[in-house]
Amino acid sequence: MSVDIIDIGSGNICSIKNWLERVNIQVHIINHPKEASSNFLILPGVGSAGPYMQRMKQSGFDEVVLEHVANGHRLLGICLGFQIMSDYLEEDGGVEGLGILSGKVEKLPSNVSHNSWEKFVFNRSELGEQTFQSKRKLTRKRIIDGRVFYNHEYGFISQESKRFNKSICERYSQYSSMVVKGAVIGVQFHPEKSQKTGLELISMIL
Amino acid sequence: MLVDGMCYQSYNWNKYRPLGALQHVVDMLEEYHCDEIAIIRPARNNDSFSAFKHDVEVLKHINTMTPISFGGGVRDSKALHFLKDLPVERLIFSSAFIKQKIDLISEATQIFGRQAIQCLLPCAMKSKELQIFCCDNASYVPVKQLDQKIIDEYANEVVIYDLLNEGEVDSFDFSLLDQFSFSRQKIVVSGGIGSNSIGEANRQQLASVLVDNKVLHSEYSIKGYKHAAKL
Repeated sequence: MSVDIIDIGSGNICSIKNWLERVNIQVHIINHPKEASSNFLILPGVGSAGPYMQRMKQSGFDEVVLEHVANGHRLLGICLGFQIMSDYLEEDGGVEGLGILSGKVEKLPSNVSHNSWEKFVFNRSELGEQTFQSKRKLTRKRIIDGRVFYNHEYGFISQESKRFNKSICERYSQYSSMVVKGAVIGVQFHPEKSQKTGLELISMIL
Repeated sequence: MLVDGMCYQSYNWNKYRPLGALQHVVDMLEEYHCDEIAIIRPARNNDSFSAFKHDVEVLKHINTMTPISFGGGVRDSKALHFLKDLPVERLIFSSAFIKQKIDLISEATQIFGRQAIQCLLPCAMKSKELQIFCCDNASYVPVKQLDQKIIDEYANEVVIYDLLNEGEVDSFDFSLLDQFSFSRQKIVVSGGIGSNSIGEANRQQLASVLVDNKVLHSEYSIKGYKHAAKL
């Protein structure tokens, strides 16, 4: 199996590559829309929403992502890559998202960002009708009990009523930590920097 | 501290103890479940772009699943763009904030996001007045010359670095914090951190602490420090 990582010049690509290679997954970093070939696409994200979306549109990667989802292929969005899947982002005076996940992205309260590790307890059975669409269901870990690393200033408020939605923590209960909608997975935390829990999660997803 | 591609423990801002290759040090810290690793280049006024580039190349090749913050020598747009695609979550600026290089910090915010920007203020009490060390000029400036509003606006966290107690244990001078108007939730303290100072940081509800010593010569320090912080 191989995974495509979209590179629009927005940081932390090598961390994601290292993360996947630790679980023996072949990685292709794609810089051009025509290079996309895998059924599993990762949309990383570091930076500011406005310039990020601008680069997505200029490069044509927005169309690639939408087509990938329309074809029922798997997509994983990380941090800002997750946030731009929403309908609307409040950052940079307002940015229209890709509209893959129904919801909006708002600034966290108190003008303080969320840079911290939070407990992450997750049982795969909680997904209900949603699944990670992994072909290897029986051999995969079912329960994760660890911690994940967050570094964000804006939070995703999901309006997907019938989809899997896990909140960040008690303090940020209105914001999503992980949303799963069919083949689309969005995570607010950085699994590639979440040590053992990050490895457990990617093993479960893949 | 990262100097010429190798790691060092710094004491009192003027003595270095060699620790080895960066990957080796990062691997050890990851093994001890360190929450985040701050890698700082002690860039003074004689720093050059080629030295900066050399250190960044070393940083580019590290393989870690622990969050990294990096700073030292990011003085212009050219240096900033060189930092793209590093395995780094946060950037630490010091001289840029002290010298109010707002264009540079704004650009960094656009590229890396505001959540990625940290301000480091190396502090020392000199003649009963708090002075901030400006690495770019290798000189001290009085705290009153610092534009704290700008720092508050652009920096996601502010690291108050106690130079005189760097490398010591449990000697961080908490009175330094009285000189700053930042929200306690934004402040990270470093220099002379030990279990007692972690407890005090916890009581004052500070954002976090940067442990600058003991990490590499006591495997259980991190566990003990987490216990002190009740994490």
